[in-house]
Amino acid sequence: MTSFFEKGRAFFGRETFGLLLLMAAMVLAFSLASPKFLGLANLSSMGFQAPLLGLLTIAMLAPMISGGFNLAVIYTANLSGLTFAWVLLQFGGPEAGMGAILLGTVAALIVGATAGAVMGLVIAYVGAHPILVSLAMMIFLRGLGEFLTKGGDISGFPESIAVLGHGTLLGIPVPMILFGLVALVWHILLRRSRHGFAVYMVGSNIRAAEYSGLNTKRTLVAIYALSGLVCAIAGILMLSRFNSVRVGHGEALLLITVLAIFLGGIDPFGGHGKVAPVILSVLILQVLSSGLNLIGANQHLATAVWGLFLVAVMIVRSERFQESVQSFTVALHHMSKPAGGKS
Amino acid sequence: MKKLLTFASAIALTAGLAGAQEIGVVVKIGGIPWFNAMEEGIQKRAAELGVTAEMIGPVSADPALQVQAIEDLIAKGVDVIGVVPNDEAALEPVLKKAREAGIKVLSHEGPGLENVDWNFELASAQGFGEAHAKLLSDNIKGPGKYAVYVGSLTVPLHNAWADAAIAWLAANRSDLVIVGDRYGVAENVDDSRTTALDLMAANPDLKGFLAFGSQGPIGAGRAIEERGMGGQVFVAGPFSPGQGAKMVKDGVLTGGFMWNPSQAGEVFVSLGKMLVDGTEITAGTDIPGLGAVQPDAAAKDIITDNLLELNKDSVDGLAAMGL
Repeated sequence: MTSFFEKGRAFFGRETFGLLLLMAAMVLAFSLASPKFLGLANLSSMGFQAPLLGLLTIAMLAPMISGGFNLAVIYTANLSGLTFAWVLLQFGGPEAGMGAILLGTVAALIVGATAGAVMGLVIAYVGAHPILVSLAMMIFLRGLGEFLTKGGDISGFPESIAVLGHGTLLGIPVPMILFGLVALVWHILLRRSRHGFAVYMVGSNIRAAEYSGLNTKRTLVAIYALSGLVCAIAGILMLSRFNSVRVGHGEALLLITVLAIFLGGIDPFGGHGKVAPVILSVLILQVLSSGLNLIGANQHLATAVWGLFLVAVMIVRSERFQESVQSFTVALHHMSKPAGGKS
Repeated sequence: MKKLLTFASAIALTAGLAGAQEIGVVVKIGGIPWFNAMEEGIQKRAAELGVTAEMIGPVSADPALQVQAIEDLIAKGVDVIGVVPNDEAALEPVLKKAREAGIKVLSHEGPGLENVDWNFELASAQGFGEAHAKLLSDNIKGPGKYAVYVGSLTVPLHNAWADAAIAWLAANRSDLVIVGDRYGVAENVDDSRTTALDLMAANPDLKGFLAFGSQGPIGAGRAIEERGMGGQVFVAGPFSPGQGAKMVKDGVLTGGFMWNPSQAGEVFVSLGKMLVDGTEITAGTDIPGLGAVQPDAAAKDIITDNLLELNKDSVDGLAAMGL
């Protein structure tokens, strides 16, 4: 048994392995509580729901590894979605063709990346704290969006857009495929590229990184621009899921992205953390949310459970807890030894 | 693992065969008195009819959370989904998905929704406006003037109520004359109060206020209280019973109408069960909680006037419900 745990830990890494066990325990518990939990309908429903939170969490991830924050993720996504919608409406709304969709996608991505890059520039060159800068950006984008839409909805898009939010490919929800691709690219970008290395260095000690010759300013701009780009993808997904855009769609997800990131073992002060455990924690939160809905638990209780969950994870991760577990197992080992000798 | 899966699907099959009817209602937000009352209604009616029903109240009024809750209900395989929408357009795709899965979809306060079997209302704009106009007319004896408040000039519903009320008074009480145009102050208690003070000072023959917007009746009532005009100037309009109870009993706030969220909850269950049982909803169908209805099949709307009067006798009971 011990060797199973040790092997697992070595193979997946400590964070990921712990979360896998947690996920397995939850899946088991929910499938015992409700037979429908492992049913195809529920699995597919979770597959359609999780990607939105997942993409927004990925957008939050790189800024947090660099020791920053991006409070503007939701509104960047909303504004990119609005851009997309606006382009589609110029080409006849429901009648817009493939060309318009492509143009809208590009425009949305540019808006998202620009919003991010502006934040990055201010953080890098003015030296203001990312929380303040992104808060300012969040307020600006929300105000701008509400001004442009007068707080209303924009809807009426071509049928083909719905495929992105509601279609399946080989039985797998399309949003999940999109999310998987973005996550994979993100993983490679952070773990295997020069930029990724710079992100971690900026996060652990920005001054040391600068003295060792890294262009930290360019790195910061790139981090936020890429974050904005992923927000734009999330915005497009949201447009397709809801067949409408409004400023404020998805705003309840902002703090949940932070929750997913801490649950995934990202150091709140920057410099450490991986993509895989964060993806896993997004899935865990989805399991928790759908599972609780399935057994008919109160929504407010679900929120409380999420909070408790985070506290529990922090306790389990703390060094003191790990030490006491270690001494406990050593003690067990000692106790079992003489008994084993006698037999 | 494989064993577990087989086990799980076996249970799933038996559960599916048992076939107890299940109804899930997703409301705008959970934990506020209005929807707590709706939940009571849902549970009460479900117990009477022997069906399973649950209400999901998201933790914030974000349409994304309503979409997720509906997705989960589809996955759960309920027979009926009810919804009180935050944002009609954002729900269309997921409601379409629900109907494609063979689930009956009902909405309340969602007249613009397309992917529903029926939308029902407990108050029509016309009936609601006219009821307040009648209330005011019953209290004002003899000729005089009246003023109209709305929440803001851009709130469509308030203006529709005001239109109906003004038209009714014009037709039935030619001796009552409207003062000025509508005043868009009724979402703010202070603006409502000062506007009422100004209007009473400028028009000694002002006899009444029609106030559509939650704070309008309260503000106008306070102004009447300050001037000691209780019983001479009347206020009719919808307001929160808890907030207005004392003023109604002091006679400075005449009364108003509202609809009962708990009754709406009961209708979700009654109508949902009727649809699952295959009952056709046509002109004259009697739906418990709505009465004999005149549905508009093209717009999929069932609009009724099941108003609840707010007066000296009813206000305490409603306030006790936390409304």
